[in-house]
Amino acid sequence: MVDLNELVDSDRGRVDPRIYTDPGVYERELEFVFGRSWLFLAHDSQLPKTGSFIQTYMAEDPVLVVRQRDGSVKAFLNQCRHRGMRICRADAGVSKTFTCTYHGWAYDLEGNLINVPLEDRAYKGNLDREAWGALKVPRIANYRGFYFGTWSDETPDFEDYLGDMAFYFDAVADRFDSGLEFTAGTTKWVIDCNWKFAAEQFGGDMYHTSISHASGPIALTDQQVVRGDPNLVQGRQFGGDGHGSGGYIYPERNMPPNFFRGQQEHEFTEDHLDEIEARIGDTRMKKVNNHNTIFPNFSWLGFLWTMRVWHPRGPNQIEVWTWSFVPKDATEALKREIREKAQRTFSPAGVFETDDGENWTEVQQVLHGFKARQNTFHVGMGLGHEERNAGGLPGVTNDVFSEVASRGFYRRWHDLLVGKSWKQIQKEEAARVSAIPESQPELAEGAR
Amino acid sequence: MTENAVIEPLPEVTGRKWSRACTTDEVPEDEGLLLTTLPKTSVFAADGEFYCVDDTCTHETYSLAEGWLEGCIVECTLHNAKFDLRTGEALSPPAERAIAVHPVIVKNNVVYVALPQNYLVKSEQA
Repeated sequence: MVDLNELVDSDRGRVDPRIYTDPGVYERELEFVFGRSWLFLAHDSQLPKTGSFIQTYMAEDPVLVVRQRDGSVKAFLNQCRHRGMRICRADAGVSKTFTCTYHGWAYDLEGNLINVPLEDRAYKGNLDREAWGALKVPRIANYRGFYFGTWSDETPDFEDYLGDMAFYFDAVADRFDSGLEFTAGTTKWVIDCNWKFAAEQFGGDMYHTSISHASGPIALTDQQVVRGDPNLVQGRQFGGDGHGSGGYIYPERNMPPNFFRGQQEHEFTEDHLDEIEARIGDTRMKKVNNHNTIFPNFSWLGFLWTMRVWHPRGPNQIEVWTWSFVPKDATEALKREIREKAQRTFSPAGVFETDDGENWTEVQQVLHGFKARQNTFHVGMGLGHEERNAGGLPGVTNDVFSEVASRGFYRRWHDLLVGKSWKQIQKEEAARVSAIPESQPELAEGAR
Repeated sequence: MTENAVIEPLPEVTGRKWSRACTTDEVPEDEGLLLTTLPKTSVFAADGEFYCVDDTCTHETYSLAEGWLEGCIVECTLHNAKFDLRTGEALSPPAERAIAVHPVIVKNNVVYVALPQNYLVKSEQA
């Protein structure tokens, strides 16, 4: 039996690899980790009108996310209360009611049971329809057009849950006057790996990039910005409340057109420099632009314009659901450029995505071995070199080549898994953060 | 809706009574307008004409005003029964029985419907 208490030691930066493989741990994390966290459901732009819906997942649980008649968004478990069939079998669309295709129990946009075929004859007045509606997601938060849901009453309010990560999320979510939209449709694929490899890497791993992603740029470009020596670049990584955000620091507010920044994007940014600076400030324009995870499984890459959820499918598999996000007032040419960039870099056949998938599936394969699972993994990079509020970046940060976010991710995961109360988790987090030395307002030379 | 609020006399229909249902712009484009009657009735605008029918699907108890409207055909959203608004005929299973269709006259952008005498009509100005 796995001793849950021994699986993660964040103070020393150690994890037991059975956290990626053990079926018992997986069953427990569905309820204690995913069941007690805020999970990304949908973006405003996916639900344009009354009755617009998408089917997504909260971990393994299928949910329908629906635009209501009053403009609000609600969600409920996509499971009929009669024999458990999916109430709605479409991925997305517009509807007025949802009728189970098995026996025809019908539900309204909120998930209330509104009709049962042959009710009088078959149930003879013995069915309390009000008590047999779909299971509703009790709490939904709308953060700048991003909807998150949680099953738990105990979880802190979303902004509290986000903590200092709000500053980093806003670098994309609050960047433009016009707001954001998702490009149409969801791109989905399957990777045979544990969900934590993906979620943790997007939160706290710049370290792999110049090694794992070396070959693509060699084939595609000789530009320094892509192929440069990582010893020469500055950058910071934030880790707090299980979330993570990291990136390089750029000298200019706008990158020149290059492999990563297309001509359209460069011009659009140039035209919107003052707008962006007014909204998020100079610090975020230059220092916050890359890898991010909101705990547990919602991630994005800022300057590559891709967002995704890593839906767990057992301990050994994930479904990746991705969207490109674009400024609402972007030209069609820019939207196309962004989509194409995401396809070229981070998509099922993307140059960099496939590098990541190769690593994660290989790691998972190796963990078939019993010796491999008795091993210990090192998550200790930069341990003890954290700073608080360094260089205008709120919360706890470290060098961009550190694992402050990964340690925070595993700590939060483990605290939830073992069943600590949210109150206790937040109290301990606050104590840990306040014990970290506050840094100078500006990063010293070589603070990377 | 209001009973007998008719300025000009409308043609007499045996066994029926004219009532003011609504203005033409109150009728939505893609669904029906439920009237305050018993049994329930609703008005549809389809292919440039106005229609009034009994609102309840003959298969299960559900409002056709909430249905999907395509041309002169309304489809119940629950189990996909379809009805012709012109004749009331049930066009698609699981419904077999027709819905009742009521005469409609439009004058000065007001929709009048002739409902059977035994239908209860709730007055707006009680």
